[in-house]
Amino acid sequence: MYYVLSLLTQIGIYAVIALSFNLALGFTGIINLSHISFLALGAYTTAILYTQFGMSFGVVMVLSGLLSGCVALFLIYACRKLRGDYLALGTLSFHFVIYSFIRNLETITGGTRGLIVDRPAFINDGINFFIMVVGLAVVFTFILARIVRSPFGTLLGAVRDDEKLARALGKDSQLLKVKAIVISAFITGVMGGVLAFFLRYVHPDFFFLYELVTILTIVIIGGLASLRGTLIATFIVLLIPEILRFVALPSSIIGPSRQILYSIILLLILLIHSRGILGKVDLH
Amino acid sequence: MEYYIQFMINGLITGSIYAVVAAGFSLIYNTHKFVHFAHGAVVMVGGYLFHTFFLLEWNIIVAALMAAMVTGGLALGLYQLTYAVFYKKRAGNVILLMASIALLLLINNVLQLFYGAQATVVKAFPVTEGLEFWGAIITPVQIIIIAVSLILLGLLYILMTYTQLGKMMRAVADNDELSLIIGIPRDNVKRFSFFIGSFIGALGGVLVSLQEALVPSRGTYLIIKGFTGAVIGGIESVPASIIGSYLLGFIENISIIYLPSDYKITISFGLLFLFLIFSPGGLYALFFKDRVSK
Repeated sequence: MYYVLSLLTQIGIYAVIALSFNLALGFTGIINLSHISFLALGAYTTAILYTQFGMSFGVVMVLSGLLSGCVALFLIYACRKLRGDYLALGTLSFHFVIYSFIRNLETITGGTRGLIVDRPAFINDGINFFIMVVGLAVVFTFILARIVRSPFGTLLGAVRDDEKLARALGKDSQLLKVKAIVISAFITGVMGGVLAFFLRYVHPDFFFLYELVTILTIVIIGGLASLRGTLIATFIVLLIPEILRFVALPSSIIGPSRQILYSIILLLILLIHSRGILGKVDLH
Repeated sequence: MEYYIQFMINGLITGSIYAVVAAGFSLIYNTHKFVHFAHGAVVMVGGYLFHTFFLLEWNIIVAALMAAMVTGGLALGLYQLTYAVFYKKRAGNVILLMASIALLLLINNVLQLFYGAQATVVKAFPVTEGLEFWGAIITPVQIIIIAVSLILLGLLYILMTYTQLGKMMRAVADNDELSLIIGIPRDNVKRFSFFIGSFIGALGGVLVSLQEALVPSRGTYLIIKGFTGAVIGGIESVPASIIGSYLLGFIENISIIYLPSDYKITISFGLLFLFLIFSPGGLYALFFKDRVSK
């Protein structure tokens, strides 16, 4: 029972992270490979402010989101001239910068020793935690669904499909991108905090390339610019490796097998059907 | 003052390894125009195969060359299975980039499955006392690393400049459609350049294994370093990438004088980010602006 509950909680957290990633990547066309660094920032903000400074739960959550949002603002401003694969590389290298800072600022982040995170009393129980995650997932999914269906969401699609045309029609494409990525980073930052509480421990290696591949796999299997697809894909992608758990294998084999499975799935979906299950647009 | 000489020598050693990684990477980038991140994992495959062959008590040079040949062959096989299919479908660069990240993880974890996550030590040379030069210490193995990488890069230069194949590779790098029109077997040249790039990368892995214990995940760092070196120098040109990598080696080692040594990776990642933002064409583009097309 505990196992099922924690798996479902994990799916809930990843679903929101993937949905907010899709807002930037799928709906707006910002190839942002530093999404995991926003998650890391949120998780570490929560770990430090809640456990060490004893701030209240709500304040910590909001601050985690805000910090990620501000960093996203800086990133999108710094990368404003990059397009296509150069943007992907710029954001990826930014992810590495954040990763190495977290790893090296030992006095603040604990470096490679990681940080232990206390859970607030009211979500100490697995069921309560699960209910909170479901609540957050429903709220954020609802907000994202409203955003992408609003006129603002349509404009984001215009920026993705033809940025020059959107500009020619007098739309401030840069501002639209800034808004999209800041919303995406804010939500991810908050979920980073939730993830830190869920794991009760944060370590820099939780936020390296591997997590990026997991999230990318989810979003690409689900399809770009499709919230429903992303939700379905989160279940598929997180449940498949669980099969490995029931085979009696030593953990030294299970760990790599999981990663191998993810990378093969990602490669296959890119090779065979890069639009994913419910994707509406192609990657360029 | 002695410190500086020691750090310069250390910089030369790390730079040599980065340069060999970056040379293969940049060669592949220039003929294919996409970022082959999995190159880092290919480098590690070279190192591990060298370890295996060496355990079979093969001659060290034969083991190294065989490791490079086999790695090149395997890399070419993966190329046919993945990148070649993407080309046929005219997939965009972003898809190729994602695919290469997936390949990087795939190869990394396959290595981990075979050799374990713990460090694997290749005892190719007996541990000997270092030699002293003007107060700085350098071991014979390190001299071998520097010399081998210089010879390797020299051979690559000769291949690219004086042979028919090298000229064809440069033609494809320059303008691949035009090269096809004038009768260059473009796709074969691309395959060949991928093989050569992986071959050189694998020899880089052999050099890594002489210097330090092998860990599968090291490949990720190596390609980021090689890529950073290439971007600093100028990814559009193989020689510029090599010079950039040596520079990165020096910068990293000299930074230790002023910062804790853990900040080495922050410095290279930070440089990568800054260069991508301010001068994506690297130093080469800064100095020879009119010659860069992008």
